[in-house]
Amino acid sequence: MMASSYNAKDEDGHITVTGPGGGTLRSKKPENTAFKQQRLPAWQPILTAGTVLPAFFIIGLIFIPIGIGLYVTSNNIKEFEVDYTGVDMSSPCFNCSQNFSWNSTTPCTCTIPFFLEQPYESNVFMYYGLSNFYQNHRRYVKSRDDSQLNGDMTSLKEPSKECEPYAYHDNKPIAPCGAIANSMFNDTLELFYNDPNGTKVQIPLTNIGIAWWTDKHVKFKNPGAGEANQNLTAVFQGTTKPLNWRRPVYELDAAANNNGFINEDFIVWMRTAALPTFRKLYRIIKSPSNGMMPTMPRGNYTLEVVYNYPVRSFEGRKRMILSTISWMGGKNPFLGIAYITVGSVCFFLGVVLLIIHHKCGNRNNSADISN
Amino acid sequence: MAQEGVESGLTWEVRANSRHYHKPKQKNSFMCFRWGRYADNLVRSYKYSPLTFLPLTLFEQFQRVANLYFLLMVVLQCVPVISSIPWYISIIPLFTVLSIRALKDLVNDMARRRSDSWINSRPCDVLISQSFNTAQWKDLFVGDVLRIRKDQVIPADLLLLCSSEPHSLCYVETADIDGETNLKYRQALSATHNELTSHPSEEALAAFDGVVLCEEPNNRLHTFRGQLHWRGECLLLDNEHILLRGTVLRNTEFAYGLTIYTGADTKILRSCGKVRMKITRMEKVFNKVVIGIVVSVLMTALLLAIGSGVFSAWLMNDLGVMSVLVVDSNPVYTGFLVYWSYIILLSPAMPIILYITFEVIHTVHSQFIGSDLEMYWQPADKPAQARNTSLSEELGQVGYLLSDKTGTLTQNHLLFRQCCIAGEIYGDASVRAEDTEPMDLSWNPFSRGGLYMSAPSLVKKLRGQECPLSRQFLTAMSLCHTVMAEWKNEAPVYQAASPDEEALVCAARELGWVFLSRTRDFIVVSELGVTRQYQLLALLDFTSQRRRMSVLVREPEGGLKLYCKGADIVILERLQKDFPYLERSETALELFSQACLRTLCVAVRSVPEASWEQWSKILAQSAAMATCERDALLEKLYDQMERELQLLGVTAIEDRLQEGVPETIALLQQAGLKIWVLTGDKKETAVNIGYSCKLLDSDTRLLEWQELRQILQSPDPVVSFFKGRQTELWAVDKGRTEGKTAIVLTGPELAEFDQRPDWGTTFMSLAAGCQSVLCCRVTPGQKAEIVTLVRKHTNSVTMSIGDGANDVNMIKTAHVGVGIAGVEGGQAVQNADFALSQFRFLQRLLLVHGRWSYRRISIFLRYFLFKTCGFALVHIWFGFLNGFSAQTLYENWFIALYTVFYTSTPIMLLAFFEQDVSSESSLRWPELYKIGQRQELSSPLLLSLSLLHAVYASLIFFFIPCGVFYNTAFDYQTMAVTVSMAATFTAIIEDHPQQQTF
Repeated sequence: MMASSYNAKDEDGHITVTGPGGGTLRSKKPENTAFKQQRLPAWQPILTAGTVLPAFFIIGLIFIPIGIGLYVTSNNIKEFEVDYTGVDMSSPCFNCSQNFSWNSTTPCTCTIPFFLEQPYESNVFMYYGLSNFYQNHRRYVKSRDDSQLNGDMTSLKEPSKECEPYAYHDNKPIAPCGAIANSMFNDTLELFYNDPNGTKVQIPLTNIGIAWWTDKHVKFKNPGAGEANQNLTAVFQGTTKPLNWRRPVYELDAAANNNGFINEDFIVWMRTAALPTFRKLYRIIKSPSNGMMPTMPRGNYTLEVVYNYPVRSFEGRKRMILSTISWMGGKNPFLGIAYITVGSVCFFLGVVLLIIHHKCGNRNNSADISN
Repeated sequence: MAQEGVESGLTWEVRANSRHYHKPKQKNSFMCFRWGRYADNLVRSYKYSPLTFLPLTLFEQFQRVANLYFLLMVVLQCVPVISSIPWYISIIPLFTVLSIRALKDLVNDMARRRSDSWINSRPCDVLISQSFNTAQWKDLFVGDVLRIRKDQVIPADLLLLCSSEPHSLCYVETADIDGETNLKYRQALSATHNELTSHPSEEALAAFDGVVLCEEPNNRLHTFRGQLHWRGECLLLDNEHILLRGTVLRNTEFAYGLTIYTGADTKILRSCGKVRMKITRMEKVFNKVVIGIVVSVLMTALLLAIGSGVFSAWLMNDLGVMSVLVVDSNPVYTGFLVYWSYIILLSPAMPIILYITFEVIHTVHSQFIGSDLEMYWQPADKPAQARNTSLSEELGQVGYLLSDKTGTLTQNHLLFRQCCIAGEIYGDASVRAEDTEPMDLSWNPFSRGGLYMSAPSLVKKLRGQECPLSRQFLTAMSLCHTVMAEWKNEAPVYQAASPDEEALVCAARELGWVFLSRTRDFIVVSELGVTRQYQLLALLDFTSQRRRMSVLVREPEGGLKLYCKGADIVILERLQKDFPYLERSETALELFSQACLRTLCVAVRSVPEASWEQWSKILAQSAAMATCERDALLEKLYDQMERELQLLGVTAIEDRLQEGVPETIALLQQAGLKIWVLTGDKKETAVNIGYSCKLLDSDTRLLEWQELRQILQSPDPVVSFFKGRQTELWAVDKGRTEGKTAIVLTGPELAEFDQRPDWGTTFMSLAAGCQSVLCCRVTPGQKAEIVTLVRKHTNSVTMSIGDGANDVNMIKTAHVGVGIAGVEGGQAVQNADFALSQFRFLQRLLLVHGRWSYRRISIFLRYFLFKTCGFALVHIWFGFLNGFSAQTLYENWFIALYTVFYTSTPIMLLAFFEQDVSSESSLRWPELYKIGQRQELSSPLLLSLSLLHAVYASLIFFFIPCGVFYNTAFDYQTMAVTVSMAATFTAIIEDHPQQQTF
């Protein structure tokens, strides 16, 4: 075999595969496909001054207008904030904040006057704001039973372990259980307009439509929802109210569709905040139907607070906020400023690079590697 | 009898035709108890049984530290007090990873089981009560007598009893064992041949009641020692009488054998060792990074836990709504729990999926190597092959290439070009082989062409019977070898284990000395048409230590002749004194080696009858001795015989360079590789090959041992080296500042390094300044030692490339081993990490695939680091705003799917396909390769930059949304979605600029 193949091999390097012993063997030659030969078409951007500089300018030119738009919109939103914690001696709520305990039966009320310099048009949103309140603490966030809140009868009687130590009280299951529910915000806020003619008009506050639709209709259900003429009092029989609550859950509101677990104040509270300083929607002040008058004209107002909620023990603050809204939500200049900053930095860098490129860029304008 | 066997170490006893004797001693096991002696002939390469699969596979997988770490994470998550992420979030990836690996193992194991059962059920003929019945392999026992047909695979290690051929010769092909495709002959003992060859053979074989005493099963494929006790005689057995399992019977109708070792005891199964795991440098970097991440996670968690403790202490003052957040009203305990929670929360910084992805990328890269058309060798139908799939990026960082010469740089396709007989040189090596004027050999009926030597004067001398020395020279060429002749179409076809021998025997055939056939005792040669039969008395075989071989024959006339051929230094020192042509022969040797020819000296000795008799007696005695003693004695015996030689001549064989070798070497040198050549050849030959393949330039100064030694011994070696070089250059060649130097060493000189370990460092620093290093006359062991030396004293990745069994050591020792699938069998390839067909494919393997792979994997690693750390670090910043409570900022499912699903595709595609420059450009600018050698893309600096980048990104991820959501009515869930979207988009977009970072 060796001898006979000598000549063929020596004369020219390439002899055919079907030499001695070849024959029917399948060739192991790799396929000549773009994938296997790594010749897939590819887009390979090369960073040159010609591509980078315009990119900087374009980013700058896009971001700056967006930022300005956001900033202007945010500035157009009217917002009024009043802190009623009562830290200062001078504050009307000082007394209330001082002598406080969760189970005091006599409500402490304080009145805070304020002046709105601008009239507020269309719907005005009324928030309560809390500071230094760690609603995002893990042990706090966990402390709830979603299936109980969804109306599950077994969970109502046997709350999940996550609710501990707010699961049972006096051997009765707590409904709603858990630390979040237990610490529900329970100040009552009322607004009065002091008409220049001397009368004090109470401003109507709507408490419907302040929670997410999905929460109200999907996530939260009263136990035994679905049944005809349900009696919440009967349904919650055998459970007890959270320790810090003054009223049981079935007495949160008079209206049947806003009572029990589907009370919107409750739902709003149960949706925990992301950061320790937050606000939650309390009420909506609907614009008058005739639309001629502003919802809240310029003038003197009074905020009447039934002071129930203690925050001073953890150095927290309580605020009442009135705000109009726009397409971008509430007043927040941060995003606008951020956009303007990034846009400006890009633009500035673009200019600097352009100057550099112009001054010393012609050194090697033909790329070394042509590929 | 048995007693005697025990004394000489022969303790394995096999009785022919006595199953009842062996069966009770069969190896068996139950649980962990094992008993019995003789293994059955079942191959069990599978690892698992249905019962043991789960525990075994889990045990294997949890031997990886990473898996244990992840298991720990899962266990932590199952503790309700500290679980910051639900348990299913990380058990799913872990479970997936484990089950994929287990499934892979299972599939492999099933395949093994299938192939096992296929092998075990192969048929063979067993002699049972006086007739041969077909049985399956698995039913064989030690002591069975088998009949093997032509082209059948031999089922167990057999003692050849007799065969259908004359003298009970038979031929086997050992391709499965050592990859060599030439036939080897085996021959039965004359005793068994004479007694058992009868018709019908069944009767005689059934009556055979010999007892074999031999060594315990071992893995030495090429030795066997034993005795056959039969009819009161004690016959010695050696390797020549053994048919190994896995070999194939060829050219023989039937062979009858006695089963000696079965199943797990057979030599082939004993010798399949485990493959040593090679860990790439990248993997080491990667492991360091992982450890770094884990440590910093632990540290960060500790800091955060302290924060949590402080926060809890502050909360304790509050008697109101928040006080419940402190566990057991104990801040320290809370902090302790939070520590574990944070470890869990930050663990996605080092996701398990990284390991899997790493493996997948490696596999794909290896596939690309295998499917590269440019590395496909048409004539042999062999594509390149990545046998070890986890080393591909190492190819992009090679700093030292240590190459074998023969068969690697050269074709190992040998041509007989010149010879020197009695001081006269025939042939001319200065003309190319193809241009040689063909001689008129029409007088020779056996001529087949293939002789590239033009020496009509020699032919005239031979035919004219003028010069007895030249006739002897050719007789030696046709007798002194181990070539087998196979008759096809009325002509002998030669099967040689070494291409040198084939070239010599073919040349002799062309010149009229035709080797016709060989039996155990005779060699038949046709000398210019006269057929002569030489009795073969002894064959003193070739080993790499002896570097020579001899045959002792009795001429038809009755005289005893020893023909010896071997390396020049070995032969020349054994010559008779005052040999007339010595000086001229030495000149010829020098001439030949300058022309890059391989030389062998051929010599003869007339042996007196008396000394032969004495010698053969000792030889017979030695056969019964224990292996190690016997080897030493044989060495001495052979040495006694091979002396007083008379030089006949010198042969010169051309080993041509492979295609594209000089170009490849030049390219690789440009790419910054140091190329060393390690060869067993003579210094002159090696140096000449060095010149012809552009490894050395014509103006390169060769630094040889004397000088090197002086430099190494001087107190400040490097300085004196460079000083010496400069002054010399100053004297010789003014104006040239850069000096080219190459070190030339030989094996015995290298041995001195063993005694002076301190020279290693200096030598390596010298070598770093040199163009190349040539090591000649080195043994396979020394080759590996050189690789170890380089590995020890440099940080570079070493690559060994070779083609023969003598390169296996260095291939295994180097970081990356490449085997050339060439003429010399497949052992190198079987032990290599990559298999190529041609040396020149190396440029593509290194400069294209290696570079790409290194680049891709570095980018992948850095990107992954960025992606996962940026993702996980957000939790640290969030900790400052949630009271260090280990609250997560992502939805649970997002954490589970982020690395696996949301951000995996782009980086995978990048790691598969990224090409910064095309393959053509990579080859055109080999300097690009230096990035890999300097590890620029995976340097600690770049890795820390990636980490900083991740920290920066996580700050942006968190604090921009934080600014937006601060003091607003937006809830936690909204923020979680925002931050996770930011992380995902960044990870995807960041993927693109990654490829342009450089």
